[in-house]
Amino acid sequence: MAAQQGDVDELFDVKNAYYIGSYQQCINEAQKVKPSAPEKETERDMFLYRAYIAQRKYAVVLDDIKGNSPPELQAVKMLAEYLSSDSKRDAIVADLDQKMARSVDASNTTFLLMAASIYYHEMNTDAALRTLHQGESLECMAMTIQVLLSLDRVDLARKELKKMQEQDEDATLTQLATAWVNIAVGGEKLQDAYYIFQEMSDKYSSTLLLLNGQAACYMAQNKWEEAEGVLQEALDKDSSHPETLINLIVLTQHMGKAPEVTNRYLSQLKDVHRAHPFLKDYLAKVT
Amino acid sequence: MLTKFETKSARVKGLSFHPKRPWVLASLHNGVIQLWDYRMCTLIDKFDEHDGPVRGIDFHKQQPLFVSGGDDYKIKVWNYKLRRCLFTLLGHLDYIRTTFFHHEYPWILSASDDQTIRIWNWQSRTCVCVLTGHNHYVMCAQFHPAEDLVVSASLDQTVRVWDISGLRKKNLSPGSVETDVRGISGVDLFGASDAVVKHVLEGHDRGVNWAAFHPTMPLIVSGADDRQVKIWRMNESKAWELDTCRGHYNNVSCAVFHPRQELILSNSEDKSIRVWDMSKRTGVQTFRRDHDRFWVLGAHPNLNLFAAGHDSGMIVFKLERERPAYAVHGNMLYYVKDRFLRQLDFNSSKDTAVMQLRSGSKFPVFSMSYNPAENAVLLCTRATNLENSTYDLYSIPKESDSQNPDAPEGKRSSGLTAVWVARNRFAVLDRMHSLLIKNLKNEIVKKVQVPSCEEIFYAGTGSLLLRDADGVTLFDVQQKRSLATVKIAKVKYVVWSSDTSHVALLAKHAIMICNRKLESLCNIHENIRVKSGAWEESGVFIYTTSNHIKYALTSGDHGIIRTLDLPIYVTRVRGNSVYCLDRECRPRVLTIDPTEYRFKLALVNRKYDEVLHMVRNAKLVGQSIIAYLQKKGYPEVALHFVKDEKTRFSLALECGNIEVALEAAKALDERSCWERLGEAALLQGHHQVVEMCYQRTKNFDKLTFLYLITGNLAKLRKMMKIAEIRKDMSGHYQAALYLGDVSERVRILKNCGQKSLAYLTAATHGLDEEAEALKETFDPEKDTVPEVDPNAQLLQPSPPINPLDTNWPLLTVSKGFFEGAIAAKDGFMDAQEGLGEEGGIKEEGGGWEVEEDLDLPPELDIPAGAGGGAEDGFFVPPTKGMSPAQMWCNNSQLPVDHILAGSFETAMRLLHDQVGVVSFIPYKALFMQTMSRGRTCYLGLPSLPCLRGHPQRNWKDCGAKQGLPAVGLRLSDLIARLQQCYQLTTSGRFEEAVERFRVILLSVPLLVVDNKQEIAEAQQLITICREYIVGLTMETERKKLPKETLDQQKRLCEVNICVVVIHTSVSFLKLIFLCVCFPYRWLFLISYHRVKSVPTIQTRKILSACEKTLTDAHQLNYDPHNPFDLCAASFVPLYRGRPVEKCPLSGACYCPTYKGQICRVTQVGRDSGPPCTTPVNLKSSS
Repeated sequence: MAAQQGDVDELFDVKNAYYIGSYQQCINEAQKVKPSAPEKETERDMFLYRAYIAQRKYAVVLDDIKGNSPPELQAVKMLAEYLSSDSKRDAIVADLDQKMARSVDASNTTFLLMAASIYYHEMNTDAALRTLHQGESLECMAMTIQVLLSLDRVDLARKELKKMQEQDEDATLTQLATAWVNIAVGGEKLQDAYYIFQEMSDKYSSTLLLLNGQAACYMAQNKWEEAEGVLQEALDKDSSHPETLINLIVLTQHMGKAPEVTNRYLSQLKDVHRAHPFLKDYLAKVT
Repeated sequence: MLTKFETKSARVKGLSFHPKRPWVLASLHNGVIQLWDYRMCTLIDKFDEHDGPVRGIDFHKQQPLFVSGGDDYKIKVWNYKLRRCLFTLLGHLDYIRTTFFHHEYPWILSASDDQTIRIWNWQSRTCVCVLTGHNHYVMCAQFHPAEDLVVSASLDQTVRVWDISGLRKKNLSPGSVETDVRGISGVDLFGASDAVVKHVLEGHDRGVNWAAFHPTMPLIVSGADDRQVKIWRMNESKAWELDTCRGHYNNVSCAVFHPRQELILSNSEDKSIRVWDMSKRTGVQTFRRDHDRFWVLGAHPNLNLFAAGHDSGMIVFKLERERPAYAVHGNMLYYVKDRFLRQLDFNSSKDTAVMQLRSGSKFPVFSMSYNPAENAVLLCTRATNLENSTYDLYSIPKESDSQNPDAPEGKRSSGLTAVWVARNRFAVLDRMHSLLIKNLKNEIVKKVQVPSCEEIFYAGTGSLLLRDADGVTLFDVQQKRSLATVKIAKVKYVVWSSDTSHVALLAKHAIMICNRKLESLCNIHENIRVKSGAWEESGVFIYTTSNHIKYALTSGDHGIIRTLDLPIYVTRVRGNSVYCLDRECRPRVLTIDPTEYRFKLALVNRKYDEVLHMVRNAKLVGQSIIAYLQKKGYPEVALHFVKDEKTRFSLALECGNIEVALEAAKALDERSCWERLGEAALLQGHHQVVEMCYQRTKNFDKLTFLYLITGNLAKLRKMMKIAEIRKDMSGHYQAALYLGDVSERVRILKNCGQKSLAYLTAATHGLDEEAEALKETFDPEKDTVPEVDPNAQLLQPSPPINPLDTNWPLLTVSKGFFEGAIAAKDGFMDAQEGLGEEGGIKEEGGGWEVEEDLDLPPELDIPAGAGGGAEDGFFVPPTKGMSPAQMWCNNSQLPVDHILAGSFETAMRLLHDQVGVVSFIPYKALFMQTMSRGRTCYLGLPSLPCLRGHPQRNWKDCGAKQGLPAVGLRLSDLIARLQQCYQLTTSGRFEEAVERFRVILLSVPLLVVDNKQEIAEAQQLITICREYIVGLTMETERKKLPKETLDQQKRLCEVNICVVVIHTSVSFLKLIFLCVCFPYRWLFLISYHRVKSVPTIQTRKILSACEKTLTDAHQLNYDPHNPFDLCAASFVPLYRGRPVEKCPLSGACYCPTYKGQICRVTQVGRDSGPPCTTPVNLKSSS
């Protein structure tokens, strides 16, 4: 991505849509765009399939990516396989461990990203960070920041963010990462984070990702009424989106709604997303 | 200089502005006087009666008059309404140089080459005074705007000031008119006494061409052939030269004071206009023309407008822009007025100065860009030399004293334009026309290569509109690429709708409306300058030209809403109010009638119910709207407006509405109408109307045929009769033919003398008798009996089987809105209903009914990484940091904070220590619920587990380490929940009620309250819950008790009374009950609960009934006189002074026998805990 700075990125719309969580638009754009070079084509496909993964349409990815597809796409397929079935996960991780033990082609950023994603899903943050450390793309850095934040290492995340900002301050990913770090930092930074999400939804379109980001900012500032509006919009877009539901569980309680309302969201969540980390934590506490 | 208007003509020698209307008079060297509308840029009139050049010209201030003087020695007074010269004043003996009206008296002042100045009375049409003294041509003479003075300039190199107070006195005295007339000769004879020279100003080295008074100060400005402009000052006794402005390099033609500013304007034969600073006497600006020498200047008395006449026409101009710099955000208008940034709240119309601007620029603020997120503004200032333009970045102070606002330090840099592109970024177009992106510190963040561009405009976050020579480009700053381009020349302003879905590009004479992607939706051309615009809520663009407020729909429809006297700058439109700033920067609100554009908008959007409403209720009539509707293809709507039958008829035909057309046709009853209606009806198969039309137009042939084809034989026969009567042989025959009536045909043929044909017909059709009879009539000599063709066929239309009575069936067309009833619009509502589902109480999840003691999970840690030993030497993964949740635990001793942090163990310990909780099973649900609100979620990268946010109650000032979680449980909510419990109690669902009361009670220790009063309330809440729980459990207990034995009955009674007492203590009914006999009490209790609002009569009845049967037969364990608490386990009264065990949480009392057991009320606490002050947590305690 660093190499492309300065000139126009033909895949900008595709990537941008993907990062802000507008997956269908990403898919649409990817199908529309006519890449100028074969590498670009691979890159486009990569985003296309990742958008499908984000939509949980794993089958499309598994069917489309064949054995002779480029290694980048193979990596994407690996993630799809990992996410699609619980049973194969251990095998995939073991396989991945082996691959990582050997020397890895560090230029295959996609592979690094996919591997890190799997490790992160496995809560193996060390491995994830180690993997990401080998890459230099903005997205690697963004993922590093995310992992660091999940480790509550805001200090390190800020350092990483600084690196990103040096590389390209206005990139969508940098902006988003800034917002994440700002939320973690809290205080006055929350408003900045909110503005980043707001600007993006103004500029492109409001997505669940952006709306939940806004809601998190609002709630962190104890602005419950404002958060309700945002979350309602998110709920209208997708009534079974897990993060929206979790935020609503938080929100309804803070707004003093009857416990039944909260429980309803909880049941919805249990219904659709049993494997969500939040629920895992939650259910772990129950027993 | 901003040129507003330019004309091409012969040399302009005189100019005069109309004080009110946008008119200017120009007198030309070729004898013509032109009246121009400089706003509409049109020539209104021409007056051509002078012979030779016209040099003097002046409008009268009030009357529709103007005066002119020319080289034909004539002074002419004209009425521009009557468009003619009223009269001519003769007397001067040479060219007349200037003519002016007096602002008050009916006087005209003229200066002439005959070396005299004359004052004329235009009412009596006589000369009232001749001012002599100059010894060369008098080039100019003007009245003082207030005093009785005249200033004159002459080629004798002097400027003279004349006192004409004598003339005024004479004129004001009664009967003055008469003496006036005589006075002239007196003047001439005895030397001027009416007007005397007051001052002679000498100083110019050559002839003086112009002299003028200052409007308010005792100053005179003069311009002369010595190329100098001189300023003179005078007082009562003398006058002297103040200063000289040097700079013109040829004869100065004219010099005037700026009516409002400390400026002097002069023009000259050196082809330039110069502006001088009056106090510094230095040139400020110079405007040059290439080929034209300037001859005259005129200043508008009220507006900032000037006119200058030159060799080939004139120009109307102003020195600087009068457009206020403003920006609108939400309900706020920010604008710059006199060195202040002001803020106007549209709702409250509160107008405050929020900050003072840094001074130092002589140029007014050109444009403004406001950033609501940072409350910062960019103010751009444009210099005459564009390269010297600057912008200032200010952060608006939060608090400001309106009287004396702060003057914050701004950051100034050079640049043509600066606009915000993001919350913390703005774009600057620098003088090299390259684009810089800067941050809030005014530091350059990056430089962006842009296509050639001369101006930039705001275009939402991250985008800009770039204007180049012939178009506007939408440019994405982040991607550094152009997204779209639209062709429109010289866009001056850009107005985005509030949702940025549409944009209006305003050029000098054109408006283009585009969507977000800069696709042109419509293009409007204006003949008059477009000034400003704003989007109305419903998506109509309201804009102003110099003289109109107009509207434009995105479909391109546009029209005038109202006229304007002076240009205004629209800031916002809401309802029928137009908020605007005028040229003095005053906020104003104008009312407009929005009906027309709303109507059109409704039409375009096909909101026919609205249209219909407006048709019925608004006064929307007029040819224009009908023509509009007809043109736009809504004849059926137009039909509703039209009263005129003719239009109605044609509209009805246009939309195929035969019924209405028929009605109209009946009313009109014209042949042409019927014909047209018949045609239209025939096309629709509406043959009954066709029939009527044919009948009305007496079109028998067509009617006959119509009857034939519709099979109406009876009518057809009638038609035949009619034809016979009308002696229409061929018609008659034709009808007979249609009918197949052979004998009739034979008869017709016979009657008209076609004997042979008649015979043949008869013979062919087998009418033998007839044929024979006809044969007889043939004269064998002359006539030959024609051969009968044996193969002749019967020519006869087959008779219709079924006559067509009804009209031809038409396809059922869905009825237009205006024809039928309003279509039901159910479909729209359904979609929304599914959303608002709330209220229904749902069963709680089953997972909670775990009976065994809560097994505390260990503090959840992220599982340690697998490859701990596999260090690769390059990268050491960081250890886990301290999460805010952990900090919460560290920072707080409140159980709730620990629960929110997910640390149940510590929370339990705290609860145990603080309020003696030992059993946590009932708390489990509360714990889980509380924990679930402790952390929010936000998504990082796609397909990765989400990140967690930690809402904190002290987020503003906690820093990194002092965080405390947002509690999310409020006392008021708990109190509100009580109501639900009361309802359950009332409806007799005791067990549920107890459950709920208990939850509330248990929640109280998880509260964090603000003050002492809330502590008290919380404790009261506990009391209420406790009493209800005890009471209700007792009631359920009681129901289970057996009643057989006396002892048991006694027990029952005891329980009963306690129930009552407990409840009375809650419900203030104690007095009534204390004296009531026990066996009946439970009855009462029930009734009390059934009817919460206890009617006193009923109460009394029960009481009296109870009292009658009052038999204290059995000794009960109840002493009505001693205050007591109730054991919550055994439900026996515990009188004061007896040993009691209390639950530290609920405060419930127990017999000492229950010591050490779980509290029955809370089911969590042991009834002997450490002494506890309050179970409620004050916020400050931590």
